[in-house]
Amino acid sequence: MVYLDNSATTRVCSRAAEKMMQCMREDYFNPSALYAPSLHVEKAMKACRQAILQKVHGGDARVIFTSGGTEADNLAILGGLASCRDGGRVLYSAGEHPAVREACLNVKGLEAQEIPYDREGRVRLDVLEDMLDADVRMICVMQVNNETGAVQPLEEISRLRDRKCADALLHVDGVQGFLRVPFDMRALKVDSYALSGHKIHAPKGVGALVAGSRLRLTPRMVGGGQENNLRSGTENTPGILALGEAIAAYPGNGDMRRVKCYLYEKLMELVPDARVNGPDPASDLSAPHILNISLPPVRSETMLHALEGMGIYVGIGSACSSHKQKVSHTLRTMHVEQKYAESALRFSFCPDNTREEMDTVLQAFEKNYALLSRYQRR
Amino acid sequence: MRKLLLVKYGEIYLKGLNRPYFMRALVARVKEAVKGMGGRVWLHDARIFVSDVEDMDECIRRVTKVFGVHSVCPAVEVEKENFDEICRQADEMMRELNGTFKVDSRRSDKHYFLDSPQMNAKIGEYVLERNEDHLKVDVRKPQHVLNVEIRDHAYLYAKVIPAVGGMPVGTGGKAALLLSGGIDSPVAGYMIAKRGLELVSVHYHSFPYTSEQAKQKVLDLGAILSEYCCGMKVYVVPFTDIQMQIHEKCPDEYTTLIMRRYMMRIAERIAEKENAKALITGESVGQVASQTLDALNMTNMVVKMPVFRPLIGFDKIDIIEYAKKIGTYDTSVLPYEDCCTVFTPKHPATHPKMDKIMEGESKLDEEALISWAVENSEIVRL
Repeated sequence: MVYLDNSATTRVCSRAAEKMMQCMREDYFNPSALYAPSLHVEKAMKACRQAILQKVHGGDARVIFTSGGTEADNLAILGGLASCRDGGRVLYSAGEHPAVREACLNVKGLEAQEIPYDREGRVRLDVLEDMLDADVRMICVMQVNNETGAVQPLEEISRLRDRKCADALLHVDGVQGFLRVPFDMRALKVDSYALSGHKIHAPKGVGALVAGSRLRLTPRMVGGGQENNLRSGTENTPGILALGEAIAAYPGNGDMRRVKCYLYEKLMELVPDARVNGPDPASDLSAPHILNISLPPVRSETMLHALEGMGIYVGIGSACSSHKQKVSHTLRTMHVEQKYAESALRFSFCPDNTREEMDTVLQAFEKNYALLSRYQRR
Repeated sequence: MRKLLLVKYGEIYLKGLNRPYFMRALVARVKEAVKGMGGRVWLHDARIFVSDVEDMDECIRRVTKVFGVHSVCPAVEVEKENFDEICRQADEMMRELNGTFKVDSRRSDKHYFLDSPQMNAKIGEYVLERNEDHLKVDVRKPQHVLNVEIRDHAYLYAKVIPAVGGMPVGTGGKAALLLSGGIDSPVAGYMIAKRGLELVSVHYHSFPYTSEQAKQKVLDLGAILSEYCCGMKVYVVPFTDIQMQIHEKCPDEYTTLIMRRYMMRIAERIAEKENAKALITGESVGQVASQTLDALNMTNMVVKMPVFRPLIGFDKIDIIEYAKKIGTYDTSVLPYEDCCTVFTPKHPATHPKMDKIMEGESKLDEEALISWAVENSEIVRL
């Protein structure tokens, strides 16, 4: 089996799985309890917060554990804008994950506006500049686009914000970027950053919001007052501790980009009409772990199932929205022609993937492509 | 006193000398339906009884789906000799109700010490005396009818729950249903099964053009149907190769029609293997290009078996209503692609010419393609 859908989810690494088991069987104490063993769990949670802060250069920001990326985004946007009384606008980039887009569209009393992408799938700074004004309350831009791997120009966006609407908050969805693309929250003056465990080899059901001091949060979940009153509910300690362990165990990107570029170059040789969706895969503008490539005339779904039949798992568009629409919103907003949009596959990598695996993929692809490209709709 | 379910049958009433055959089949189907729920099913005095089940509501849900059952009545069984007990039970059942009522008694035990009108009067009086503040008698148009049947015991019931009707599955023989993931074919299968036919389904799978999810969707539809049909076999036929060859070798506007002809041929072959005597399709005249009168003729003539098309005169909107009623609609509209739509030509022939079809088909090795597909079918039992 070759698994190349790591942007959808990853395999939990053994250290995280062991940690989780240990937490469930031995360190299962409620961190709010008063006896010593629960203090031990609380300390371990604190270490996880520190590890996250260190990775994103968060300084003294708060780390609020959530059930995953969606909840972290919701908390930042809906919870961060709940106290806006005098109207205004919230901006989100065109390729945002539905967790961000839907949250923006659901903020009461604020108008939500979409910031368009250029042909490479990056935010159009010229348009954004025109859109920014004193009434903008929050700008939501993802660190890395989940479908194309395009790294967003956060530095420029932050500078524009400072110049045109210094009070506006900047929320970054880091679900696809965390650990794999460097991020400096303080230098970028980002107000909140969302991350998810299961994209970095931690289990599903855990994530976090890193919230800077400018973000005044209203809780979205009330109850026992955990997480400084911002996220009630007994902490998911097995998930949180496993997240900490996965962060510690992450080996760095290693050969990931080279493996990706190898697959990319070979695919370009096999399919003369192939086209990458997003920035040049070799450049820093493209995340090291995502390759979105159109391989006409074979439709994405057909090729996906053909590869699946040979034990190779890849993605089309975004796993979260692929049941909702045929052509992804991100590719549409990048003005990718129908023929290319319908034949786009997303290969997403983890540090364990090897060049040998790519040879297996290429072999399977070549065989299927030869057959399937002959039998297409007319 | 015990609670049980009194099962009434419908059309079997019209049967003459072979009624016992249909009754036996119906009892067997009811037994299958409540299998695994504990309890007992028996036939007595032209009624089927189900007693001692663990979950009466689930039992009602299942039995009302058995073809051949007209309605079911949750009833109370009492010793018939103890008339006071019958009255007390009647009072207990009516106490909760408001409005007008009447008692409707009948007795198959003609030696019983009261006749039906006497029973009506005595029980009615007993109930009325104790519930005068909220119940009134109205013998013409009552809101509630308390039924009392004197058989080996006395049976009382006030609620009649309608069931699906039809004839017991299996009494009419067996037919093969061409089952897709769409809205129509499950409804067609349901309608024919309702007339007492056992079903075997044939589904065409075009991996990798259609996904595992698309196949699972069809199996889910099959599972819904199988609740009515007491189980069903589904043949999943590997169809990609045939589609590719048709696509490559036959004229574009005829690909759908030739594909349909192959589907019919394969279905007939499977039907023969399964000892089924007819084919069932969800076609409705005029719905799509392959369902014009000319096109239907062309698909019809490749098989010798009769082809039943119960939806032939139905509008789509009526079929949708039907699908909602039998519970297949929500599954049918899940967005997975079907084999029929993979290679749809832009302009399919609506008035096909036989010679063109023959010319296209002459380029295909019919026997080899069909026997390979049948032999390599996956059989799923639902």
